[in-house]
Amino acid sequence: MGSEGPMVYGCLYCPISYKKTLSTLEFADSKTLKEEKREELFESLKVDEKIGWAVDVIDPRVLSAKMLQKNKINLNEISHESAMGLVKRVLDIGYLLTEVYVDTVGDADKYRNKLTERFPSIKFVVAKKADSLYPVVSGASIVAKVTRDRALQNWNFDETAENMHRNFGSGYPGDPNTKDWLENHKHAVFGFPSLVRFSWGTCESYFKGGVQVLWEADESDDDDGCSRKTVKRQSKLSNLGFTGMKRKSEDIESSGKGRCKFFQSRKLEQLTLF
Amino acid sequence: MCSDINPAAEHMLMLPCCIKYNGPSPVSQYFKPKSTGIEVDGLNVKEANFRGRKLQGTTVSLPDGYSGFVIGRKTCVKRKASDTNGGMTAWQANAKFRNITIWNHDNLPSKEDAFLRAFHWFDVAKALHKPVTSDDMESASNLGAAETD
Repeated sequence: MGSEGPMVYGCLYCPISYKKTLSTLEFADSKTLKEEKREELFESLKVDEKIGWAVDVIDPRVLSAKMLQKNKINLNEISHESAMGLVKRVLDIGYLLTEVYVDTVGDADKYRNKLTERFPSIKFVVAKKADSLYPVVSGASIVAKVTRDRALQNWNFDETAENMHRNFGSGYPGDPNTKDWLENHKHAVFGFPSLVRFSWGTCESYFKGGVQVLWEADESDDDDGCSRKTVKRQSKLSNLGFTGMKRKSEDIESSGKGRCKFFQSRKLEQLTLF
Repeated sequence: MCSDINPAAEHMLMLPCCIKYNGPSPVSQYFKPKSTGIEVDGLNVKEANFRGRKLQGTTVSLPDGYSGFVIGRKTCVKRKASDTNGGMTAWQANAKFRNITIWNHDNLPSKEDAFLRAFHWFDVAKALHKPVTSDDMESASNLGAAETD
């Protein structure tokens, strides 16, 4: 999973009788293959009439938004949903799936139970490193990887800042090119372009030198690796020099506290001195 | 006013977060609102991303007869020490606006948002502060008389 670009889930399907042939097609874990070899294998499986494939491309903006929304959805959940979406899509085309091999995300047993519950008629094999164990999963990982690489290279930036370039490298955080790209595309206020998944890593190391931004959704939320003090979302009026009536130091947002309901529900506060 | 008000504050944004920074930034290069085609309470919903969060917002005009101002501490005049004795700080308008885009995090904008509800005060204030004419007094006392009869 990269820190930049879309997340792509891929699947490959074929008749059970084709299983043996599949294992002779040199499919291997896509990460161990050279880019050219991956491209070559992708082209060959595309023309193989016995093989079908599908991908689910999840936009990095959607990923960031889901992981940072008030009810945060974690990456495991997103990937489980994506995989189940692919299974459903293949079933809907009209293929009768009997065995499905899945590379696990999170706990394999729990994941298998979740899948079996949703699709009781299918036998699921969920395993760690399934892409190096089962040729059908290796093939799926090739499909996903090639699709992701292409999506990244053809990415259209939303942002129109000057000096933006596309040498993102692989988009994986360990890649020096990716590191450089991130460093060069950081803005103190806006952070990274929307191609980057903002939820990646801990926010501390991630935003060194960046301007702090406080969100209501993050209040008293300690389970995402970022220790935050209790914060209120609005700029502190008292810091700006406003002095309201009977203001306590913790009342930092205009609240209409102590006033009648009409004002409270509209967050209208009276400013006597300013 | 000793400095010009910036009348070109076309893109006034209110964000659901506190940005600990004060100063210019290239908003138009990074903040790219898109129209969604969704309409809530007659408000056209826009969508934008900021720091990975999805924001949904709407642009509203201030009611006729009202203007919005961005105010800041007055800095251009050196004040005498005696001026500050009243505990008053001088403020100046740094920008004036007629439209504002209110952005919510996760929630669709609606007429029930506190910011838009605050507009209700305009009507209430008008009714409360409208000068009372002698006709008003008369009809009010007549009414009173009718009730006590």
